[in-house]
Formats: sequence, structure tokens, C-alpha cells
Amino acid sequence: MSLILLLAIPILGGCLAWPAERVGKTWPRTISLATLAITLAIALPLLHPTNAAWLADLRLPWIPAFGMSFHLALDGMSWLLTILTLILGMFAVAVSWHEPADKPGFFHANLLWSLAGTIGVFLALDLFLFFYFWELMLVPMVFVIAIWGHENRRRAAIKFFLFTQGSGLLILIGIIALAFLHQRQTGQLTFDYFALLQHEPAGRFGFLIMLGLFVAFIVKLAAFPVHVWLPLTHTEAPTAGSVILASILLKTGAYGLLRFVAPLFPIAAHAIAPAAIWLGVASIFYGAILAYGQSDLKRLIAYTSISHMGFVLIGVFVFNSLAWQGVVFLLIAHGVSTGALFIIVGSVQHRLHTRDLNCMGGLWTDLPKLSSFGTFFILAAMGLPGLGNFVGEFLILRGAYPVAPVATIAAAIGLIPAALYSLIAIQRAFHGPPDPARHTHDFGMRENAMMLALAAAIIWLGIYPQPVLAVAAPALSNAADPAA
Amino acid sequence: MTQAAPLIILAGAIAALLAAIAIRRAALIANGVAALGLLAALAIMPAAASAPPIWTSLFSFGAAASGFIALILAASLLLLIIAAAYWPTAPTLPPEEFPLLLLIATIGACTLAAAASFITLFLGLETMTLAIIGMVAYPRDRPDSAEAALKYLILSGMSSAFLLFGIGLLELATGTLSLPDILTAPGNPMTLAAFALIGIAAGFKLSIVPFHIWVPDVYAGAPAPSGAYLAVIPKIAVLAILVRIGAMPGATLPPSAIQAITVIAMLSMLAGNLLALQQQNLKRILGYSSIAHLGYLLVAILAAGAVGHVAVVFYIVTYALTMIAAFGVIAMLSTAAVARDADRITDVAGLFWTRPALAAVLTLALLSLAGIPPAIGFIAKMYIFAAGIHTDLWLLIFTMIASSVIGLFYYLTIIIAMTQKPLADAATPLRIPAAGRLVLTLVSLAVFIFGIAPQPLISLVKAMFG
Repeated sequence: MSLILLLAIPILGGCLAWPAERVGKTWPRTISLATLAITLAIALPLLHPTNAAWLADLRLPWIPAFGMSFHLALDGMSWLLTILTLILGMFAVAVSWHEPADKPGFFHANLLWSLAGTIGVFLALDLFLFFYFWELMLVPMVFVIAIWGHENRRRAAIKFFLFTQGSGLLILIGIIALAFLHQRQTGQLTFDYFALLQHEPAGRFGFLIMLGLFVAFIVKLAAFPVHVWLPLTHTEAPTAGSVILASILLKTGAYGLLRFVAPLFPIAAHAIAPAAIWLGVASIFYGAILAYGQSDLKRLIAYTSISHMGFVLIGVFVFNSLAWQGVVFLLIAHGVSTGALFIIVGSVQHRLHTRDLNCMGGLWTDLPKLSSFGTFFILAAMGLPGLGNFVGEFLILRGAYPVAPVATIAAAIGLIPAALYSLIAIQRAFHGPPDPARHTHDFGMRENAMMLALAAAIIWLGIYPQPVLAVAAPALSNAADPAA
Repeated sequence: MTQAAPLIILAGAIAALLAAIAIRRAALIANGVAALGLLAALAIMPAAASAPPIWTSLFSFGAAASGFIALILAASLLLLIIAAAYWPTAPTLPPEEFPLLLLIATIGACTLAAAASFITLFLGLETMTLAIIGMVAYPRDRPDSAEAALKYLILSGMSSAFLLFGIGLLELATGTLSLPDILTAPGNPMTLAAFALIGIAAGFKLSIVPFHIWVPDVYAGAPAPSGAYLAVIPKIAVLAILVRIGAMPGATLPPSAIQAITVIAMLSMLAGNLLALQQQNLKRILGYSSIAHLGYLLVAILAAGAVGHVAVVFYIVTYALTMIAAFGVIAMLSTAAVARDADRITDVAGLFWTRPALAAVLTLALLSLAGIPPAIGFIAKMYIFAAGIHTDLWLLIFTMIASSVIGLFYYLTIIIAMTQKPLADAATPLRIPAAGRLVLTLVSLAVFIFGIAPQPLISLVKAMFG
């Protein structure tokens, strides 16, 4: 029952926050924060020691005509991602505490609805329900970009919408074909995950279905060469939108691969694995090299996401529980570090009214706190040992080496350009002579508190990763390598 | 009680309306009588469905026909209310004749939907078309409307000629006008030619490629309530008769016809969406969009079978709800007295800031047309995909995906235009009549609720096909 609350509370909160702007400009943000806090309070206790594979399971009839049910379930992986969604959602609300000036109610309603859709994606175990939430999380985000984004927001919103929607149709076709194929084999029309797990659709047709889902998910993951929507979208979205996009929405692509593509199509997924791994390697290098060339700080961070998601793609397609744990871990660490980086870029833009690295330099003198946090999170994202991202990347590479040694070595070499773009970003933004004409104020209480919390999380993930790995492990060992 | 009770009540309402207009000209009375007539016809539907059959050589009021008639009546009622809210803004026009024309068109559509013979089919079609021409030309001082009506008149006349020629050939070849008899009669080249001619006429009414040229001009020129009627009712009625014929014994399409319909469907989807891309006029966009949507519907028609039929009806319900919502918003934003409706994208720009409720309704309608949850259009599109995949129509399915993605672009352009903050805060004070609010609320609730929980509607539609 509490699974429904995880969805219903954010949706209702959004419905409340929208009209609340008439009562007062500050009400929507308070309602959003409270909503997310309540949801988090419900979600946290759902993790309990159990021998069962699933922490919670709920099934209600929905569209019996097509064998679709309202089936939600929670395991360690979805619990971790749900918690990540809720916590970073709170940061997204907190970072836009004093904005937007226009229609704050609708803004917060859209944030909450998008988060609700994302939680639904992580919980749904009926494939059609999953797709429903997949679409649902998109539209509010388009509004956030289109209404409150930066100068080029129209194009960004349209590009984001077309890419995710268009690839979404591949999922829709894929799951309908999968369900009908299952019906032909067993006589029962169902979209239920557990039922569909029983029969892998064989042959060419099964491979094509898998390919459709695979393409849709790597579009969301923004792997090379279907990443083209990401830089523009992440750059033009308002800070809260960028945080949600990069920290949470990207993760749904990886989740889809882990939850659906690999278990539902073990044979077909193994067939495509070499290509997927090399796409991952290509993403690592492509993202890193393009990040190096950017002069827009926000765009630079957007490109680094492509690079990091390359590791995720490799990790998923080596099919062992070590690499999969690394994937889940990297998703969380990347969520935290990139979220923090987008918050910092948002603060810089708020203060300097530019994101252009050429106009920065010497920030350390003017904004010491902002700059030190910025440096810290850039180093974390780069994969500095002792911080969260390192653990995830290390586990992925460690798990991948026995399966695909050449690709793993190539991916590891990809850490060198990562160091390059990180250091160049730090140097151009924070070092150098300060601009004498710059009059601005450093981080205040609210921002310091947010940054400290995120930094603490990244350090904790880096030096004591075991609790997180222990939560994720049962979910992954059950699903991993059935064909091996 | 007879099965024809709804038709009889409609005919009575038309007579009563004529009498009422003769006694006293008042918009309220005229609209009231028309609305009561439609309501009464709708209310009698459940009782009529269980009555003994009547006039079986001319009509066939089975479950399918009754379902379509109920849909036509409900849609007409909603459109009547929109029209009643729209016309008072043009004080120089007589408001009483519009409901009369609407009732006449509706009785024509119901006749067509329940036809069992080419006689009733042709009578229904012509009654409907002629009344619609009057509705399109209703604002007599608008040159665009006159042009649209003339265009529609000439092309309708031509398609009727095709239809009549086809009917004549069929009668010559088979010696009967009854639909079931003709379908079971042995085929010969003459019947094939006849069906091709009839198909052209149907293609014109459904506005599919290559019979779509008239659509954008007529949609754009017609005043919003007439445009909505034109976009919704004839399509329901023609699809009703096609679906019913398709379900009759002996109605199998030859392979050549299937190939032809496949090509037409693909062209309609692509042409409708591609041509809409560059448009700046909402009604033209809706017109092109309707061409694409009829292309999608053809996929379900080709899929046939149990899933296909339900998909067709579910889709046409969705299409009707959505078009009524979209045209309803345009009608509420417009003033009938000026030379054109508020139908350009620039007219709705910034609507989110000035009139958020109307913007929300239009957004929901556009999401539904684009097939995105939580709007009902998503379920409808899923239904067509399901029907197509079930019968392995992969070429059509992939064309549909490609054209859907193209379609997203122009729907989203409108939505984003609505979200852009207007430069000057020049919100013109616009009072939306309660009747208009009622219809828009009802329609958007239906679009939203059936988008989340479609099962009741699916069960209802399934009941139409036993």
C-alpha cells in the first residue's frame, strides 16, 4: 500500500502546490519540500531485512482487456534509486528556493509530477505501466524547460521531447510485440514482468524487440551516438531542471537496461553486448573530448555526463553482479556529484549572469566557498579515489575486465581525458587573476548546507560503500547472468 | 417502443424546432428545443436497443449501429452547446437556424450510421452534407466561410456523383440495393468498379489522401463550431457504416484493395503530419492532423478482427472528444462578429499566462492528439498499435511511428507557444459563457479520466461488437 503513496503523495502535492501560489509566493516551495520529505519518510522504512527478492509488491487490476495490471514492486535497486530521486528532488526544490518569480506554483507542480513519474518508472513491474510512467515523467519536464529555461529553451524543449518521445514509441511497440508473442506461446495476454520473464522471445523477432528497447534506453542514457539531445537540454534547462535531468532522468535509461533488457532477453542481450560495450567506450571518449572543448561551463558538465554514462553502459553489458553493483553505485554517485555541479553552475550563473568560462577565472578570490566546493565536486566526478564515483567506476572496470579486457583497458584510458577536462575546468573557472569589476557574494547558509550535505554523501559513498552495495546486491545477483 | 425511436424523436425535434422558430424567434428556445431533442434521443437509446427490429430492409439497428448513433448524438449535443455559446457574440446573425441545421445534419448522420441499404446510405449522407454546408456558410458576412462552403459544396457534389454512379453500377450488377445482399452476391468486374467509385466517395468524406485537398481550406474557413461538427460527425457516421459493412458476412477485401488502402493509409499519415508542420493556423493544423489521424484509423480498419473493430471505435471516440475540446477552445477564444476566428498560433501565444484554464484544456487536447499520457489519445494509439502488431502490419506500424514523431513537433510548437510569456500584459477581458465552460470541463475530464482508467470505455465499446 505504501508503494501507492510513493506515487500519490508527489502527484497530490503537485496539485496542491499549483493553486498555492495564489495564497503566497512562498507556499509552493514549502509544499513541495514537505511533500518530498513525507514521501521520503514513507520510502525509507520500506527497506527491511528479508529473504524474499522483493521488499514490497502490489498488484491491482487496471486494464484487464489487455492483461495490464497496476503492478508495483520494490527491490534493493529500485529502493536506492527511489531514495536518490526523492533526495535530489529536495535539492532541486531547495536550489530554486528564490526562483522562479513567474508562476512558482506551476513550476513546483511540474517538478513534483516529473519526480512522481520517475518513481513510477522505478517501481512499475507491468511493462505497460512502466511505459505509462516513462511518458508521464517527460511532459512536466518539457514544461519546466520550455517555460523557465534559458535563452534557447524553445529549441531545447522540442529536441528533448522529440528524442525521448520518438524513442519511447520503440518501447511501446516492443512491449506490445513482446506481450503478443508471449500470448502466442502461452495463450495468455499479459504485460506482467514476472510472466514475461518465463519465456524469452527467441530468434530474429526477439532480437528486434530487444533492439527497440535497447535503442530507446540508450537514448535516455544519452550514449554516443544518440546523445544529441542531452547537451542542449541540460544546458538550457533551469538549474532545478538540470539537476533532475542529469541526476535522475538519465538513470531511468540505465535502470531500463538492467531491469528489462538484460533479464527479459538474456540471449539477445548477450548477442548485442560487444556492440554495446564499444558504444560505451566511444561515449567515454566522445563525452570527455567534447567536454574538454567547451567554453560553456554548463555544457561542459553536460558532456561529462555522456562520458560517465559510457561506463554505465559497459557495466550493464558485461553481465556480472560485480559490474552491476558498480553500475548502481555509479548511478547514485553520479547523481549526487552531477547534481551538485549543476547547482554550483546555477549559482555561478546567478551571480555572474554568464556561463562562459572565458568570462570567469579568479573566482577563487571572489567566491572562495563556491570555488572550493566546485573543485571538490569536479574532482569527485573525475573519479578521485576516496570519493563515490571512483568506487562505481572501479567496480565496473573490475567486473568488465574478465569479460572484455580490451574494451576495459580502452575505458580505463578514458580516465585520462577525464582528468584533462576536469583540471582545465577548475583552472579556467576558479584560478587565475580575479576580475576587479566583479561584485558578488559567496554562498550563503542555505547553499553551504546543501553543498555540505552532498559533499558528505559523496565522501561517505567513497570511503564506506558497503551499505549501499549490500542493499543493491540481492536484487542484482538474482537478475544477473542467467545465461552464463 | 421501436428501435428507430431515436430517429423518430430527432425528426419530431426538427418539426418542433421549426414550429418554435415560426412562433417566436429566440436563441434560448431554439437551442433548448434542439438540446432537449438530442437529450431525449440519447436517453431513449438503451430502451430502443432492446426493442424488436423494424424497417429491416432500410435500417439495421444492431448493437454496433446503436453505439455509433449514441456517439453521434452525444457529440452533436456537445457541439450544439459550444455553438450556443459562440453565436451570441455575433448579434447581427439570426441564432435560431443554426441548431436547426445541426439537428438535420445529425439525423442524416444517424441515418447513415444505421443504413442497411444504399437508399438510406445515400439519403443520410446527403442530408448530413447539405445541412453542414449551411452550417459552414452560416456567418454570411465572412468571405472565408462563403468560400469554404462553396468549396465543400462543389467537392461534395462531385463525390456524391461518384457514389451514385457506384450505386447504380452495383444495382445493375446485382439487382439489389440491400447491403447484406450485395456483399454476398458473386463478384464481377462491374461490382469491383462500383466499389472503387464508392471508395472514392468514402475517401472524400474521410478526407484521406489523395482526397484531402479540401480539408485545410474548409476547416479554416468554417466558423469554429461548424468546423468542429465537420471534423467530427461525418467521420463518425462514415466510419460507422464502413465498420458495420466490414463486420458483415461476405465482406472480404481483395488483396488489391488491401494494398491500395495500405498505400492510402501511409500517405495520409505522412502527408497529414508533414503538411501540418509549416502551418500557422490552428484550424488548418487540426485539419491536417485529422488527415493523419484517419490514416492511423485505416491501420485499425485493415487489422479488422475483434481487436481492430474495437480499436476503430475507441479511436473515433478519442478523436471526437479531442477535436471537440480543441475546436471548443478556439470557439471560446473567438468572436463570431469579426472576420476570422482566433485561430492562429499567435492568438494562443501566452495563453498559459492569460487564460490558464483554456490553455490547460488545449494542452490536454494536443497531448491526446499526439498520443501522450495521461490523455486518452495515448490509450487509443496503443490500441491501434496493438491491432496492427496483432495482425503483423509492420510496414504500417513503422510508418505510423515515423509520422507520429513528425506530428509531435507541431503539437509541441503550439504548446510551447502557449507557455511563452506574453511581452505586454494585454489580457483582453474575455468572458467565457457557462455553457462553454461546461462542455470544455466535461470533455477534458473524459479525455483525462479515460486516459488513466480506460477499462469502462473499452467494455462499452466491446459491447458494441458482442
